[in-house]
Amino acid sequence: MLTPAELEILGLSLKVALWGLAVSLPFAVAIAFVLARKDFPGKTIFDAAVHLPLVLPPVVVGYALLVLFGTQGPIGRLLEPLGIVLIFRWTGAALAAAIMGFPLMVRAIRLSIEAVDPRLESAARTLGASRSRVFFTVTLPLAASGVITGALLAFARSLGEFGATITFVSNIPGETRTLPLAIYTYTQVPGGDAQALRLSIFSVVLSLAALAFSEWLARRRHPADSRHA
Amino acid sequence: MLRIAILAFTLALTPVAWADNVTVFAAASLKEALDAAVHSFEASSGNKVTVSYAGSNALAKQIESGAPADLFISADTDWIDYVESRNLIVPGSRRTLLANDLVLIAPATSTVQVKLAPGVNIAAILGDKRIALANPDAVPAGKYAKAAFTALDAWPAIESKVAAADNVRAALVLVARGEAPLGVVYRTDAMAEKNVRVVDTFPAGTHPPIVYPIVVLKRTTTTAAPALAKYLEGAEARATFEKFGFRAP
Repeated sequence: MLTPAELEILGLSLKVALWGLAVSLPFAVAIAFVLARKDFPGKTIFDAAVHLPLVLPPVVVGYALLVLFGTQGPIGRLLEPLGIVLIFRWTGAALAAAIMGFPLMVRAIRLSIEAVDPRLESAARTLGASRSRVFFTVTLPLAASGVITGALLAFARSLGEFGATITFVSNIPGETRTLPLAIYTYTQVPGGDAQALRLSIFSVVLSLAALAFSEWLARRRHPADSRHA
Repeated sequence: MLRIAILAFTLALTPVAWADNVTVFAAASLKEALDAAVHSFEASSGNKVTVSYAGSNALAKQIESGAPADLFISADTDWIDYVESRNLIVPGSRRTLLANDLVLIAPATSTVQVKLAPGVNIAAILGDKRIALANPDAVPAGKYAKAAFTALDAWPAIESKVAAADNVRAALVLVARGEAPLGVVYRTDAMAEKNVRVVDTFPAGTHPPIVYPIVVLKRTTTTAAPALAKYLEGAEARATFEKFGFRAP
């Protein structure tokens, strides 16, 4: 049913989205916790900065990544001696995908942490639990549905990432040509319409599956949440 | 009194009624030069011209979908053929407007020397870096580059080292920023960017001639469209184009 070329495109897209997710999830949980539970000067600006990829044109994010993480950029130049090159590599595509999905993930996790009753955390503290133990055994399990929803949203967003990816890592078959870039490429070639349509259908199926999975998880977790509350 | 008022009102409106809007779809590589030429046409004719720049492929698809364009200037003949085969152009309106050259570029700070001759070893110069091209499967600048490297027996070795950009200007940016040590663009692009230098020009026989055909599209309703096409072929516009690095075809 799938040609080897299509399998390669799908495999690459999943690899990019999953790695982007794996790397950004811990940061998203940490930032969501800080935004939900802490007050500090400049919090509004910090919050806005976290949400920036959601509202900026993706090509701006891609260009910023090119300028900062390119081998000539201030960050890319520091990473290159360590053997970390992001530009024109699938790892760069994963970084772009992670950044574009990050705000969605932080939002969902933050909301679910805010919904955790702080008295439960205080109770655990009075019983002698350390801050980190409270976080990992009380706060995080109670916020798990938000973490999962956020991760799935970010994953679905990553699968669709186009503008930042093509600007930062360009369009290289087998390396950075993910599903949306492959669809775009086929629409640019005379006679590529049928292939573009096939890939578009895969894209719809994948996105629907991710959304349906997140709905199913949310439903399944809901009774558990109400029992705790 | 009323009659005079009506007359004055009519006169006041007349220049507006005479001035037409012309919408031009033009290949991205024409931007600076065409802007300058169009500006003088507007000043002398009183018509208003709107130019939409994009890759010729994208523009051809938009025209096929009914985009409101009066003129189309493509960076290759394939996409003009595409539009022509769909019966969208005024018969006999097709002309070859301009010609361009294909050049190998490097960042301005680079000292690399390459002679574009058969068997040229681009891969050795690149090492683990990539060469920036417009998408060689779709975008004209990339297709010309692929044809030229194929003619020089160099394509198989560099095919896996291509960073395919969305259009020729995106490839230019990758070289100007030093992310790609080499790139292939049109001479006019290289002249517009001070952070790159031309390493060598591809010999004329290695790729199809780079020409910019112009057509008047069938859906046009204004006489200003053929007038603009004629102006762009004239001596005054040609001088402007040559200032930006284009050649007569």
